[in-house]
Amino acid sequence: MGNVILRRFVSLPFVIFSITFITFWVGFLAPGDPILSMMGGRNDQATYERLRHLYGLDQTWNDQYFRYLGGLLRGDLGLSFRYQGRPVVEIVSGGIPVSVSLGAVALVLSLSIGVPVGIWAALWQNTTAERLSMAAMLMLYSIPSFVLIPIFRWVNYQFYARGWPSLPVAGWGQPEHWIMPVLVLAAASVGYIARLTRVSMLEVLKQDYLRTAYAKGLGQNRILWVHAFRNAVLPIITVVGPSVAFLVTGAFVVENIFAIPGIGFLSVQAIQQRDYPVIQSTTVILAAAVVLMNLITDLLYSLLDPRIRVEG
Amino acid sequence: MFTKRLLTVLLVSVLFILAVAPAAAQEGGNLRWSLEGINDLVSLDPAKASDSQGFTVIGLLYGGLVRLDGDLNVIPELAESWTVSEDGLVYTFTLREGAAFSDGSAVTASDVVWSLTHALDPATGGWTGPFYLSNIAGANEVASGSTPELSGAVAVDDRTVQITILQPSAYFLSQLTFGSAKIVSSKQATTDAQWENNPLSSGPFQLKEWNHGQGIVLVPNPGYYQKSPLASITMPFIQDSETAYQLYRTGQLDIMGSQQNGIPSVHVAEAEGQADFRSTSLFAVRYVAFNNKLAPFDNADVRRAFALALDKQTLANDVLAGTVVAADRILPLGIPASELPVTSLSFDPAAAKAALVAAGVTPETIGTVKLTYGVEGDNERVVTVLQAMWKESLGIDVTLEPLELSTFSARLNETTQTPETGLQMYYSVWGADYPDPQNFLSQQLRTDVGNNNGHYSNTEFDALVDQADVLTGDVATRLGLYNQAEQIAVSEVGWLPLFNPRLNILVNPKVVGVVFNGQGLIIPDFAALNVSA
Repeated sequence: MGNVILRRFVSLPFVIFSITFITFWVGFLAPGDPILSMMGGRNDQATYERLRHLYGLDQTWNDQYFRYLGGLLRGDLGLSFRYQGRPVVEIVSGGIPVSVSLGAVALVLSLSIGVPVGIWAALWQNTTAERLSMAAMLMLYSIPSFVLIPIFRWVNYQFYARGWPSLPVAGWGQPEHWIMPVLVLAAASVGYIARLTRVSMLEVLKQDYLRTAYAKGLGQNRILWVHAFRNAVLPIITVVGPSVAFLVTGAFVVENIFAIPGIGFLSVQAIQQRDYPVIQSTTVILAAAVVLMNLITDLLYSLLDPRIRVEG
Repeated sequence: MFTKRLLTVLLVSVLFILAVAPAAAQEGGNLRWSLEGINDLVSLDPAKASDSQGFTVIGLLYGGLVRLDGDLNVIPELAESWTVSEDGLVYTFTLREGAAFSDGSAVTASDVVWSLTHALDPATGGWTGPFYLSNIAGANEVASGSTPELSGAVAVDDRTVQITILQPSAYFLSQLTFGSAKIVSSKQATTDAQWENNPLSSGPFQLKEWNHGQGIVLVPNPGYYQKSPLASITMPFIQDSETAYQLYRTGQLDIMGSQQNGIPSVHVAEAEGQADFRSTSLFAVRYVAFNNKLAPFDNADVRRAFALALDKQTLANDVLAGTVVAADRILPLGIPASELPVTSLSFDPAAAKAALVAAGVTPETIGTVKLTYGVEGDNERVVTVLQAMWKESLGIDVTLEPLELSTFSARLNETTQTPETGLQMYYSVWGADYPDPQNFLSQQLRTDVGNNNGHYSNTEFDALVDQADVLTGDVATRLGLYNQAEQIAVSEVGWLPLFNPRLNILVNPKVVGVVFNGQGLIIPDFAALNVSA
C-alpha cells in the first residue's frame, strides 16, 4: 500500500502542472484582457499600450507562462491585475479559510442528514413514508442552487415581514450568516448521499452473512450497526472525494449570491475581468484541493476495506 | 435517532438565539450604503480607481480642487476660489484656509501638484489620469514617461496653484472633479510605501476599516471644511444586485443601487410608489452603431433605413415597460444643448423602405447583417425586438451575436484598430463622464477619436465640434454649434439612439442630504448628510 500512496503523491505535481498549463493557455487565448476591462469602453490607444506593457501582457506566451511557473515554485503567485499590484497570495489567502470552513460544514451536514435518512429509508423500504422521503431527496438533488436560493429567500422574507426571527440575506461574520449558505450547499449533497446510502444498505441487507447473524441470534441493533452499516458506508466514503468537487462548484454560486468572501466569490469576478494571476491561482488551489481530497478518501477506503488493501 | 435529536436541538437553539439577539441596530448616525457589482475595491489611491464604485468611495475619502453640487455645477471644494486668464489657458486656484488632511497636516499647493503628477505618472499604472487630465500642459510628456515634471502645474506658494492648459475648455473644471484630480498627501505617499492601505484623507471622511472582499467603513474627517454629523458610513461590497435588494428589504441597508447596478428590473414594479423609491433618467444613451468603413453601412441611406424602421416608443413603453425613455437624438435630456431642437428620424416604415431603395440595396443583395452585443441586463430582449422590427419593416434578416462583456470590449477595440475585421453593427451604451455635450459629440463621433469605434466621419461635424470645443464664455454660441453638429450626426446616423436608461435606487426616507440626478447620487453638503435614528 505504501506504493499506492507514493505513486499518488508523485502524480500530484504533474496534475497541478497540467492544470496551470491548460488554464494559462485558455486564458491567453480568450478574447478580452484586463486593461480593456478596466478602461470600460474608453478608448485611448496610447494609454492602453502603456498599461499592457506595464503588466507584461505584450510578452510572448512562453515568457509569461514560465515567469508565472517560476513564481509559483517560489510560492509567489504574482501580482493581481485588477487590484493593482496587490499580491495574489494576499488576496487568495483570505478566501481559503472561508471556503474551506463553509464546504466542510456543508459536507458534515449533508453526511449527518443524508446517511441516517438513507438508512431509515432502507429499513422502512416500500412504505409510503420511504417513497415520499426519497422523492424529496431526489428533488433536493435535482434542484439547482440558484433556484433553491430565491425559494429560501422568499420564505425568509415572509418571516421577516411578520416580525418573526429571520436570517440575514447575505454577508459573513456572524453565526447566522452561515445558515442559509450551508443549507443551500448541503441540499444537493444530502439528496445524493441519502439515495446512495439507501441503495448501499439495501444491497448489504440482502447479504448472506447477515442472515447468518440473524440465525445466530444476534440482536437487531448489533446487526444493523456493527455488521450492515459498516459495510454499507464504504461507497459513501468513495463519494466524499468527488463531493468536494461538487461543493467547490456549488460554492461559486452560493458565495456570489450570499456575498461570502471565499474563493468562489473571487474567481467569478477575476474571470469576468480577466485578472489572469488570480484566475490561475484559484484554479490551481481548487484543483489541488480536489485531488488531495480524492487521495485521502482513496486511502481511507483502503484502510477500511481489507480486501482493497491486499490488492494494493 | 441521535443525529436527528442533535439536529433538532441545534435548530431550536439557533431560533432562540435569533429571537433574543438584538436586531441589527441602526444607531443614530451609521449610514449603510451598499456598493453593488464588485467584490472589492481596486485601490484607495485615487489615481488607480477605475470603476464607478471605486470613484464613489474616492469621492468620500478625498477632496479635489472643485466638485459638483446637486445641480451639477462646479463648486469650490479644497480650492476656495479661482481666476481664469484672458485667453482661458491659465487657471489660478487659491486653496481654502485651514484645509487639512485627517492627521491635521495642511493641504498645500505642492500636494496638489504632486497628486496631478502622480495620476499621470506611467509607473502608477492608472488610466484615468492620462485620459481626463490630458488638457494640462505637459501632461502627455509625463504620461509617456519622457519627463517626471508636470510643467503645466505650478505651486506658486503654499496656498496658490497655477494650472496651464493646452486649449481653452468650458469643461476643464468638470474634469477636475474626477477621481484622478483628487488631492492626496504627498508627504505620506512619498514616505510610506503602504500608504494606499491607510491613506490620509483630504475629503469629508477617512478610512476606519477595510475588510477585503466584504466592505469598507468610513468615519468623518475633522480636517474637512464641512463637518459630517454621521458616526460612520458602512459600505458592504455586494456583487449581486438581487442580494443588495434583499438586504435593503430586510432592513440591513439604508441606500441600495448605483450606476449600472440599480434595482433589479423584476422588482421595479413592486418598489415603485414606495417612499424610498427614487428614479431618474440617466445622462446616458443606449444606441446601435455601425461600422462606417464596411458595406452596407458605409452608405448613409442604409443607416437611415435601419433608423427609420425602428418603433422606439413601443420598445420603451411596451417591451421595457416604461422603465426607460425613448431617445431620438444623441444628447440625453438634461445635458446642456439637449434643450435645443433636433429633427430626428422617427418611426416611418415607408420612408425606411424608400431609403433602402435610394441606397440601391434590397434584402436579397444586402448580404449578412450581424448585430453584436454584450450580454448583460435587458440587452438580449432589446436586440431581439430590434431584429423583429427590421424584419417587419425592411424584410431584412439580422443575425444576433451575443458576446461576454470582456469579449465585446475586445471586439470593439478591434473595430477601432482594424475596421476591416471589426464588428458590422453593435449595440452599446455611453454614460456621461461629465455633463457636457463634448462628452457625447466630440469625444464619440469626431473623425478618428479613440471612442469612435464605428469610424463615423463627417468633415462638417468635425469643423463644428472643433470650434465649439475651444469656445469658452459664450455659452449660447457654443451650445448652438454643438446643436448643429448633433443634427448632422442624427440625420446621418452617426449613432442610432434608442433610449435613455433610467436608474432606480432605494433610499431610506431617514436619510437626508442626498440628491439624486443623472450622474447618480450626489451629496452637495456633507454637513447635511445624516440618517436619523
